[in-house]
Amino acid sequence: MAGPARYREPRPLLARGPQRPGLEAEVEYRKRQLPWIPRRTGLWNPCACKSYQDFHAFDLSGATRVLEWIGDKGVFVAGYESLKKNEILHLILPLRLSVKENQGLFPERDFKVRHGGFSDGSVFDLKYVPDTRLLVTSGLPGCYLRVWQFAEDSDVIKPVSTIAVHEKEGNFWPRVAVFSSVAPGVLHGARLSDLKIVDLESQKVTYSSGISDSEELSSLQVLDADIFAFCCTSGHLGIVDTRQKWAPLENTSPNLGSGEERWCAEVRGMDQGPGSCIASLGSEGQLRLLDTRDLCHPMSSVQCPVSTPSPNPELLRVSWAPGLDNCLAISGFDGTVQVYDVTSWDGMGIQVEPLFTHRGHIFLNENKMDTAPQVTTHTWHPCKPRTLLSAASDASLHVWDWVDLRASC
Amino acid sequence: MPEIRVTPLGAGQDVGRSCILVSIAGKNVMLDCGMHMGFNDDRRFPDFSYITQNGRLTDFLDCVIISHFHLDHCGALPYFSEMVGYDGPIYMTHPTQAICPILLEDYRKIAVDKKGEANFFTSQMIKDCMKKVVAVHLHQTVQVDDELEIKAYYAGHVLGAAMFQIKVGSESVVYTGDYNMTPDRHLGAAWIDKCRPNLLITESTYATTIRDSKRCRERDFLKKVHETVERGGKVLIPVFALGRAQELCILLETFWERMNLKVPIYFSTGLTEKANHYYKLFITWTNQKIRKTFVQRNMFEFKHIKAFDRAFADNPGPMVVFATPGMLHAGQSLQIFRKWAGNEKNMVIMPGYCVQGTVGHKILSGQRKLEMEGRQLEVKMQVEYMSFSAHADAKGIMQLVGQAEPERVLLVHGEAKKMEFLRQKIEQEFRVSCYMPANGETVTLPTSPSIPVGISLGLLKREMAQGLLPEAKKPRLLHGTLIMKDSNFRLVSSEQALKELGLAEHQLRFTCRVHLQDARKEQETALRVYSHLKSTLKDHCVQHLPDGSVTVESILIQAAAHSEDPGTKVLLVSWTYQDEELGSFLTTLLKKGLPQAPS
Repeated sequence: MAGPARYREPRPLLARGPQRPGLEAEVEYRKRQLPWIPRRTGLWNPCACKSYQDFHAFDLSGATRVLEWIGDKGVFVAGYESLKKNEILHLILPLRLSVKENQGLFPERDFKVRHGGFSDGSVFDLKYVPDTRLLVTSGLPGCYLRVWQFAEDSDVIKPVSTIAVHEKEGNFWPRVAVFSSVAPGVLHGARLSDLKIVDLESQKVTYSSGISDSEELSSLQVLDADIFAFCCTSGHLGIVDTRQKWAPLENTSPNLGSGEERWCAEVRGMDQGPGSCIASLGSEGQLRLLDTRDLCHPMSSVQCPVSTPSPNPELLRVSWAPGLDNCLAISGFDGTVQVYDVTSWDGMGIQVEPLFTHRGHIFLNENKMDTAPQVTTHTWHPCKPRTLLSAASDASLHVWDWVDLRASC
Repeated sequence: MPEIRVTPLGAGQDVGRSCILVSIAGKNVMLDCGMHMGFNDDRRFPDFSYITQNGRLTDFLDCVIISHFHLDHCGALPYFSEMVGYDGPIYMTHPTQAICPILLEDYRKIAVDKKGEANFFTSQMIKDCMKKVVAVHLHQTVQVDDELEIKAYYAGHVLGAAMFQIKVGSESVVYTGDYNMTPDRHLGAAWIDKCRPNLLITESTYATTIRDSKRCRERDFLKKVHETVERGGKVLIPVFALGRAQELCILLETFWERMNLKVPIYFSTGLTEKANHYYKLFITWTNQKIRKTFVQRNMFEFKHIKAFDRAFADNPGPMVVFATPGMLHAGQSLQIFRKWAGNEKNMVIMPGYCVQGTVGHKILSGQRKLEMEGRQLEVKMQVEYMSFSAHADAKGIMQLVGQAEPERVLLVHGEAKKMEFLRQKIEQEFRVSCYMPANGETVTLPTSPSIPVGISLGLLKREMAQGLLPEAKKPRLLHGTLIMKDSNFRLVSSEQALKELGLAEHQLRFTCRVHLQDARKEQETALRVYSHLKSTLKDHCVQHLPDGSVTVESILIQAAAHSEDPGTKVLLVSWTYQDEELGSFLTTLLKKGLPQAPS
């Protein structure tokens, strides 16, 4: 063997031991060895920082832009790198997060990979088809969607078929939403003119927007068996009933400021009564609340305290909390996720402060990259009211449960 | 027999009992000899009848290797060596050798004294077993016999844990045992060089998990301790002497300093002595941070952590105590537990797995009423489980495979159906085959061993002279004579071989007669033959010799008159066996006849 074999070990934080002899020096030295144990305040100080009920941090093998629930115990994540095989993973949440009592007795703090598969292309969107074992993914190249299947007795996610999509050129990829019913349908489109619903089994087109408006879409959301909402990057919103020919309730020609700004939106669950609320987030940090019955006149509009403009507006995300009244979360500007209570929002241009800001992705950035990681997506836990999952560009995945500090005063 | 055979022993798909048989180039090695902690009967031992039904194990096995001191890797060793019967060498690292007997004795005490088991190994058996141990250092090549050698690599995980390379000639297998690819506060990360073994055997128990970050665990630990002492409660942390305890101490000490806390933290003295002793022996096994920090001092000289006196347990007010043993089955930790269990403000944090039958196991299972020395004890204190022990997850396995660059990978202790994705991942990323045998199933891997052969300089020069430089990756065909003497192989030219043997070389010449219709004289026929061959065989040396014969390279052609028919000439074509090809070709050519054109 050429040369001595070396046990290579991690580089110590400081090259030399304590300079001054004595116990004090030793303590000082050790303090510097463990810099993450914070000063009085800070994320990691479990005493000073009462704002987290729970916090778990994980590292995936590849960053994800997708967090899609399957039931309330599993999520799908998928890689989005352009030049290599990406992994699609079905993760089961750590057991202790599903348990209320006696959490301490549950050693299971890890995610389990229940299923995994490989995708040649990048995955930007993934939707689970409820009550089936099927997934639909979309990414680049944007000329087709992929349909995948996973089985009970194996841990592999296999590609099953593709759905051809109109989009031919460039960096446009279709957004996807799923109409779940006995015969599930996939709603997809990169532009308003391409919007279609395709029956998953027969691959026949069952609905088509049939218009020539080629505005680029940023999000699609299925609201019930026949109705879906769309949001264009321009901020143009619409609610479509598929039982009629294209005649959406929409805010036509919205005056939304600079043409460079990109928008996304999410409708709060329809089961909360008629006149549901839509939250629309712009890349300049503006957040608008609209009533679905009157999309042309927003109920309120605020400026969120975020660094603008968003470095990657495709990652903008706004989501309503399923278990809380009037709470939503936003991400996509930096390495944070912000939670807001919109109850008392009234009027235009008001300044607001978040109820809670999750800074974990910035604090835990192990690699100390020059560019701070950016949150790629977030999602609320379907059952636990204040639990969220968030993922960032450094492949980190956090599960956190924040404390509503107002409740304690 | 160019194949490697691997059989993981044991019954069922149960995890928790490591014992793997490897057969490599005729040598048989047993890797680990673990006990299944969940069973009370024979199922807890590996099924040794796989090795041999009636022969002596010592004759069959060349050696036994133990990777680290956890009972699921060494728990069945005394049973195997003393009760089943094995007298060959047992290899392990120095820390493992020191710590193994302590854990085995502890376990024996619990099994026999607490649970009243009969057919169990005795203290004397443990001692006798350890006498067969040969301790090894890291990266030290150990010759088991003149063909089999082993080498240990650092594995992290626990103090003294090692990965082993087993090598016979050019075939090798690497067994990882349990390892960890991320360093923690007192241990480094596993590391191996690009040894390119034929096979890498790795445990895959945690391959399908994505681990919670260590900081989160530590944070939770600190939070629990702090919450308890804040409300005036006492925290008991039962620990084993080494490793984790030190890590948790460093954590608490630093946290106390930052938060300016005054609550006392104690270490039981038994711990300190033992720990110091082992520490001094095995300083090289911990990581550099620890070494630099504690290089000149008593490692338990903390500012906030003091030596414990049993009287302190009765002091009022909050405190934190580290005490042995780790499973609350006897000794000081159990005594303290009994004093504190009745108060719900107190907390006990169990840092690891507890064997069935111990108090630790009972309270972790949720039991709250215990019977101790005839009296009932109601456990009102909070019970927490906080495992810091580290195993490699999928990411870790991929990293190790990338470091070692094996030809093939074998995963043990996973459920095959649930590992298909990992197998595909490994196969795709590294282009190696991945195997996942069930317990008891044998995997046979063909290998192509490379046999080094010395070549004589003369032969080498001759081959080089033929042009075409040798290429490292392209096989090249050589002709020569192989001489095998002792274990030495030499390739020499035939002439040299004959010379060495003192034999004369036989010369073989073939002669063929070709009949030609030609009425002219022999010399003219020969001339015609010469011209024909000269013009046809442009690549060869064709000559017309003064005596009338024609040569093509070393082939001789002579023309003679036919004895009976003057119109026929007979060509005698003769060649040595080396020129067989050319000779046949010429014969065929001449049989076709000569061209009619006048010479």
